[in-house]
Amino acid sequence: MMDVGRHPNITLYTYSEVENVTGFIGNFKVTIRKKARYVDENECTACSDCAEVCPVIVPDEFQQGFSSRKAIYIPFPQAVPSTYTLDMESCLGNNPIACGKCYEACEKKCIDYDMQDEIIEIDAGAIITATGMDVYDPTELDEYGYTRYENVITSMEFERLISASGPTEGHFIRPTDRKVPKTVGFIQCVGSRSEKRGNPYCSNICCMNTVKDTLLLSDHYPGVECKVFYMDIRAFGKGFEDLYMRSKQEGVKYIRGLPGEIEEDPNTKNLILTVENTSNGKLEKHNLEMVVLSVGVIPRQDNKIIKQLLTLSTTSDGFYMESHPKLKPVDAPTRGVYFAGCAESPKDVKDSVTQASAAAARASILLNAGKVKIEAITSRVIPDKCIYCGICARVCPYHAIVPPDKKTKTLPKVVEAACAGCGTCAAECPSDAIIMRHFRDEQIMAQIESILSEKPEEKIVTFACNWCSYPGADLAGTSRIQYPPNNRVIRTMCSGRVDEKFVFHAFKLGAPIVLVSGCHFSDCHYINAVRWTQKRIEKLWNKLERKKIRPERLQLEYISAAEGQKWARVIKELEEIRKKVTKKEIEETMKILSE
Amino acid sequence: MTKLNFDFRNKLDAMLDGDRLNYCYQCGACVGDCPAAKYSEEFNPRVILLKALFGMEDELIADDSPIWLCTNCYTCFERCPQDVRPIEVIIALKNITVDQEKNPVEISKIVESVRKTGRTVTYTPLVDKRRQELGLGKIEPISDAVKEIEIITKGL
Repeated sequence: MMDVGRHPNITLYTYSEVENVTGFIGNFKVTIRKKARYVDENECTACSDCAEVCPVIVPDEFQQGFSSRKAIYIPFPQAVPSTYTLDMESCLGNNPIACGKCYEACEKKCIDYDMQDEIIEIDAGAIITATGMDVYDPTELDEYGYTRYENVITSMEFERLISASGPTEGHFIRPTDRKVPKTVGFIQCVGSRSEKRGNPYCSNICCMNTVKDTLLLSDHYPGVECKVFYMDIRAFGKGFEDLYMRSKQEGVKYIRGLPGEIEEDPNTKNLILTVENTSNGKLEKHNLEMVVLSVGVIPRQDNKIIKQLLTLSTTSDGFYMESHPKLKPVDAPTRGVYFAGCAESPKDVKDSVTQASAAAARASILLNAGKVKIEAITSRVIPDKCIYCGICARVCPYHAIVPPDKKTKTLPKVVEAACAGCGTCAAECPSDAIIMRHFRDEQIMAQIESILSEKPEEKIVTFACNWCSYPGADLAGTSRIQYPPNNRVIRTMCSGRVDEKFVFHAFKLGAPIVLVSGCHFSDCHYINAVRWTQKRIEKLWNKLERKKIRPERLQLEYISAAEGQKWARVIKELEEIRKKVTKKEIEETMKILSE
Repeated sequence: MTKLNFDFRNKLDAMLDGDRLNYCYQCGACVGDCPAAKYSEEFNPRVILLKALFGMEDELIADDSPIWLCTNCYTCFERCPQDVRPIEVIIALKNITVDQEKNPVEISKIVESVRKTGRTVTYTPLVDKRRQELGLGKIEPISDAVKEIEIITKGL
């Protein structure tokens, strides 16, 4: 961290928050609120004179509340910059008459009670999001008694107790009697891999963290007996299995089975834990002097703010979603934004460093080139047709369209560097004033006309998105899955491109069935464009009903690139529906629509 | 050798509306706090679920099956991280057993007693004799309860 602080090319803004981000790849404008420290960071020498006289004592967050700090403090010994910060929430009030002891004690007079937050605006070419994670709070899992028993601690608290810079200077003692415990139990998967309480995903780091903890303990205190209660030990990385084996050789007992309720012996404050050892099916009782809950990793609770500012999306677990899970694992869906570390998913130090290096490399490619190549599939506004309604700017998942202004007759402006080419704007535009290059209305209309030029009553007109449904259909083909051959696919970049008028045009030309198929919500390749597809199709169903056309004839499906089977099944089902659409019905529809 | 019997598992899934049973990863969280498992080594909800997953119908659907030791306390329901609801699997197993009339005789006796008299404790002539000695009247069926049970069973 010191190196980063001293690097000539790195400006470090600590104790700061990102307030706003505007612009696009290569031209971001970032507004940063640098919060007031009430201490001049250039002058402060961290001599600690101020903290010595400060009368306010509050729990130390860094030490997990095991020790205390003053209202003027350094968050932790290695903090960069090495500067005191005044915590105004707990200070006796920025009123020198009330206290002002630190001001008097400071020789260099660098304490300023009237300091204000500073707003800084910087230009950025690329943004790396490394906002980290939070840890799971085990209060919810009441059977482990985290809030009731002092000797039940979390793995974060364990870390402080065994650390040389911790409250006990590295002496591992239990909170109730301040003696080194003889038996320590570790409970795995606290808040992880649970459908009901906590999170359904595996937090990735807790198994190896516990293995490391047991080794640390048996290294520092050879007599201490460690027992680990787990459902599966996932030692999957390089050298991890070795470490696990070493821990076993050190005499750590690994017991497969999740414990039930923990009880406390009121006299000794020991913890009694009942667990089924699933390897022999016997119910065992363990008397432990201390229990460590190996808590899972959760997304940062305030990551929605950055999500909005940078138009990111999150997966169902709440972590940020990459542009592509396999091929673009460090890129955000927004161009020019990259991920590093636990902001994207729970990961250990090594993986975080790997991803951070990749993100830095990706960003430097962009910055060194000074320009960016994008696909020519972007949208363009036709000035004559635009009615300045601003729908295009509202629906754009990337905020790539600068909204129009009716009063000054300013046209909406498409920022081509930010446009990804989903075509949602073109489909939503009520006056057809947006051209989607390479997927123009004329092109798609011509495809529909060609499909329905011969025996239209036998065809299934299908719109499939380029990333999920179209490859899904490909997979059905390459896997030699049989399905009705009368389905005709029109490829669009995103299902969001499918305009109402395409559907009506198809019905007008005698199509019995129209299918619109897109990605699943969680893996839409255009942030949330598929949601607009859903909204539009739902509206269309109502419109069809009002026009006395059976809504079943327009179908919406979500098929991923791996679901060749589903593709075939859907087409088979549609074929059944198509057979029931009579010639008379098609003729009626054609009549209704040509009126 | 026991063969996997998927039909039995599917039958259970159909009764439980959903395939939650298949998500069990045998962590043993259901056993730690199970009061029945504490007193009897025979009873182990995790093993019952494993047997149900394997479709070991003969062992589960029998009058000496361990399922009858379950106290219906729903602790396993609370503890299960995967929301498998072991208790509901056990209740479904009990229902299958009763349908096939393989349940223990005692169970039928109690059910009969509840249906006829509204009492869960079975009635014996000895009780009458004791009551007579103490000068108490004969035990009569609880008419309200019997009526209600009739209505409920009609609904089923």
